[in-house]
Amino acid sequence: MKLSYKWLSEYVDLSGITPSELADRMTTAGLEVEGIEPMAQGTHLVIGEVLSSEDVEGTHLHITQTRIGDGPDDVLQIVCGAPNCRAGLKVIVALDGAELPDGTIHVRPLRGIDSNGMLCALYELGVDKKYLTEYQCSGIEELPADAPVGETDVLGYLGYDDTVLDVSLTPNRADCSSMWNMAKEVGAILHREVKWPDYAGKADIGEEGTFRVSSTTEKCPAFTGKVVGHVKVGPSPKWMVNYLHAAGMNSINNVVDISNFVMLETGQPLHYYNLAKLPAREITVVDDIEMKMTALDGVEFEIQKGDLVITTGGQPTGIAGIMGGEESMIDESTDSIFIEAANFDAASVRRSSIRLNLITEAAQRFSKGLEPLSMMKAVDRSVQLLSEYADASGFEKTVFYGSQTYEPRKVRETLTHCNDLLGTEFTMDQVREVLEWLDFQPEISGDEIICTIPSYRTDIERPADIDEEIIRLIGFDSLKSTLPFMEATVGRLTPAQRIRRTITELMTGASLNEIITYTLVSQDYIDNAFDPAGEAIALAMPMSDAKKYIRNSLINSVLECVQYNNAHATGACSFFEISKVYGQGTEEERLAIVFDGNIQEDKLHRIEEPGDFYAMKGLILSLLRKLGFTGGRIMIRENTKDTVHFHPYRSAELWMDRKFLGVFGDIHPAYAKKFDLKKPVYAEIKLDQLFETRGTRMKFVPLDRYPAVSRDIAVVTETSTSAKQLMDTISKAGSRLIRNVEIFDVYEGEHVEAGKKSVALRITYQAADHTLKEDEIAKIHTAILDALKNKLKAELRA
Amino acid sequence: MDKITDVQSEALAAVEAAVNLDELQQVRIKYLGKKGAIQALMSEMKSLPREEKPAFGQKVNVCKQTVTEAVEAAAAKLEAKALEEQLINDRLDITLPGVRRETGTIHPLHMIQQEIEDLFVGMGYKIAEGPEVEEDYYNFELANIPKDHPAREMQDTFYIDPNTLLRTHTTAMQMRELEKAKGKTPIKLICPGKVYRRDDDDATHSHQFTQCEGLVVGEHITLADLKGTLEFMANRMFGEGRQIRFRPSYFPFTEPSVEVDVSCPFCNGKGCNVCKGSGWIEILGAGMVHPHVLEMNGFDSEKCTGFAFGVGLERVAMLKYGIDDIRNFYTNDQRFLKTFDRFD
Repeated sequence: MKLSYKWLSEYVDLSGITPSELADRMTTAGLEVEGIEPMAQGTHLVIGEVLSSEDVEGTHLHITQTRIGDGPDDVLQIVCGAPNCRAGLKVIVALDGAELPDGTIHVRPLRGIDSNGMLCALYELGVDKKYLTEYQCSGIEELPADAPVGETDVLGYLGYDDTVLDVSLTPNRADCSSMWNMAKEVGAILHREVKWPDYAGKADIGEEGTFRVSSTTEKCPAFTGKVVGHVKVGPSPKWMVNYLHAAGMNSINNVVDISNFVMLETGQPLHYYNLAKLPAREITVVDDIEMKMTALDGVEFEIQKGDLVITTGGQPTGIAGIMGGEESMIDESTDSIFIEAANFDAASVRRSSIRLNLITEAAQRFSKGLEPLSMMKAVDRSVQLLSEYADASGFEKTVFYGSQTYEPRKVRETLTHCNDLLGTEFTMDQVREVLEWLDFQPEISGDEIICTIPSYRTDIERPADIDEEIIRLIGFDSLKSTLPFMEATVGRLTPAQRIRRTITELMTGASLNEIITYTLVSQDYIDNAFDPAGEAIALAMPMSDAKKYIRNSLINSVLECVQYNNAHATGACSFFEISKVYGQGTEEERLAIVFDGNIQEDKLHRIEEPGDFYAMKGLILSLLRKLGFTGGRIMIRENTKDTVHFHPYRSAELWMDRKFLGVFGDIHPAYAKKFDLKKPVYAEIKLDQLFETRGTRMKFVPLDRYPAVSRDIAVVTETSTSAKQLMDTISKAGSRLIRNVEIFDVYEGEHVEAGKKSVALRITYQAADHTLKEDEIAKIHTAILDALKNKLKAELRA
Repeated sequence: MDKITDVQSEALAAVEAAVNLDELQQVRIKYLGKKGAIQALMSEMKSLPREEKPAFGQKVNVCKQTVTEAVEAAAAKLEAKALEEQLINDRLDITLPGVRRETGTIHPLHMIQQEIEDLFVGMGYKIAEGPEVEEDYYNFELANIPKDHPAREMQDTFYIDPNTLLRTHTTAMQMRELEKAKGKTPIKLICPGKVYRRDDDDATHSHQFTQCEGLVVGEHITLADLKGTLEFMANRMFGEGRQIRFRPSYFPFTEPSVEVDVSCPFCNGKGCNVCKGSGWIEILGAGMVHPHVLEMNGFDSEKCTGFAFGVGLERVAMLKYGIDDIRNFYTNDQRFLKTFDRFD
């Protein structure tokens, strides 16, 4: 809200308080002032009279002799370039050293001609061009003929000696968008008395007339109207124009300006109709018509059912609370009017105004809700100002629709409760003072305070609301810092929260960077989801095609992130992300891991750890082991689930406790191309299963007391024989004396027959209860070699 | 007898002359070995008259002793010398880089989230969780923001259908927790998580961001308790000595409501670029839980009170680390991420 300092001071004495002090005090009390702007600026200004103006040949310049006072030295030669510069004009003169918004005026010759100042346009003093006519913007300001030459308070003369505070109002304080209510608030902040104009009862005049108002919808609960039989349309008084400008509105004519001015004063939007142009002496508010209509500014709008519409004689004439119709608008020829002050449903006006993109001052005020008495205030004040500034007469008696009763709200609070909630030790005197300045009329007995809330403070409903007023107006500086004193509670992480942290620690420890990517994705990412969590959830009104759906898998967002990093040459990527994914009616949490390039690399020290399938497998299994999921609970098998995203022969399915967790391995080369990637390796794993299941219990097994013996063997077998087959065969043949089997080399190539491979294994034997003897080992070892030979055709390498 | 003296001086001279351990070994063999010169003297003793034997023997022994000691001393010296040479040979260029070990980094938003979590878990708070795809009921209705409430405009919402949306604030989790508690206190929790609003992404706006809210409900919980709690948090997050300041504000789910400023950690309140000269930075929204919110969730608002606060983690991270563009958090450029690869 734009708050004029000068206008405010009509209601509350601001002497001794500068605009910036006022802004600080208001901000501290919760009315945040976001900017302070003078209406116009300028020093070293004086009103002058152009005595003569001669054209300078070949230029647009004029040489003037301008009088700025009555003394003999008060005629200055000033060069001016404005087209309207001419003898006899009263003008604004900026003298040497004048500070204007765009800089300081220094006296210097213009094209070799002495010039002792500048003749100014209003916009050069900082007046917003939107309040000026095209003519005013194209040349210097032409002051009235009676402007006093020599007057140095030029801004004061112009009425622009004002400062505008830009106040950001929270939704609960819409009342402060009324100047009168704002004055009350400022009075309460400054502890200064507030005087509103003497408006009450001014509309209680006029004879019974024939005009009737009504509504067919509960969304217009009340409607107040008044016929004014005669008005004289003309210009507005200067002070009113200035205040409207300060509030950000333009001046049109005295009658329209009064409707806007009264709205700014009281918060009640008004509409004045050209009475002669209304087809009937009747207004009905309806909300059930569909049609096209032309509004005040000539633009056509589509009216839908549910929009509140003003009709007269069955004809729509305006969109209630938003904009009036063109037919009945006030112009120079208007000589009788009908005043409308109504209450329209806030939500309904808001919806219509947003849909029609008509966010008018009136609509904004209706959207925030009106106070119960503003209609009457506005009609009273209208009558008062129209009489004074538009020669209004021929009033008819005010007409009403809806309930006229109003009972002020009473709110009860106790000093004890207030101090209990705030943690303060305020005294009753302190509290009383605040409430009195707020006009809450506190009635105090003992600990109890009963407040009668002014009509405009619709936000005050409960004791807590009273407490907020007390603390914000006394000030938060008085508040101590304490910690809650309460029953002890145990703070700890849930299993899921601990697991997430363990994953993060393990992944970052393995040199992966954590990423967070957007939840909202495109249609394409949904069409290409990996193991979707369900049918994707679409937004009702997406902002763009790229952010249309809630993702049901992570794969595309993560690969896109790798693509970005590749494009920006940030180095090899190894990332992980933990995120929820959603489908219709389902929520899953997943872990995505991606490698693109080496995980570790150091050429100097000849170290290279490629981010390949095996790195991924090792990482995932060490993670599961860390979480307590080991042995037979984990199953890794050929990937048959998804060979679109994954390489069919370089990926695997991960299962735990017979439940599918995800797939890991090389991204299918065809799919990798989509993201311009060469050989990314990816995993997407469901975490909920891990959160819900307990890991195997941690238990200590006594250390071995008898020595272990290792034997290395190398066998040649078919290329297709899997490591698992070899290991399983060895374990089975070796029974319980085998402690460990480890593959330490796999070789194909020279010295090995084509289609075969050589696998080197280390078998470790150990018994729990005795030292193994050589013949014992030899026996098992032979059995193992036999089994390898018979079952897998794996021969001991020569 | 002179012969002994000769052998001894000859041997000592040889020991002296040995320049390395190999040569010394030759000397040792030549004089002290089984077929060495000293042993040869011993065998000469046989041919001596009986009465001369003891004196001769003693003299040879002294000679042997002397030579042995000399050899050992020389050996120690030569060994030390050899080791010294070895060490010199082993010299490294310590200016060559060490083996590069890439270390991974937790995302800066999660780094700050964990910091807050740890702080509050230490004070007995639990960490609540809730769905990002949320019901209008929890996101708005229970939070005292009924349909057509002007406050709904403060948070432009991604709706899925009239009753379902992407949560606009983590307050939705607070409401679920309040409802779950069925009027039972104490409640002490924080709820961090992703939230979404219809904002065009630019340097300071993101349609997806991260909040962490806190909620305490019990008997005699005061606004002063809120101030103390937030002061504690500010000191932990921005360093000791932070002060906090409340300014009146408005949230539909709290009354009184406050904006919370922290004294600027960069200039200690003197005024700088970060705080735009004010000495304070706006960091949190907070307030006393609105009695209507307590009542809607089945609490007796006469008996219990509570406070709630909320902080945007992007804002904290941006302030703390001087990040100039919020989109960095979601672009995940490694050069950005690696900035946070350390203990803070």
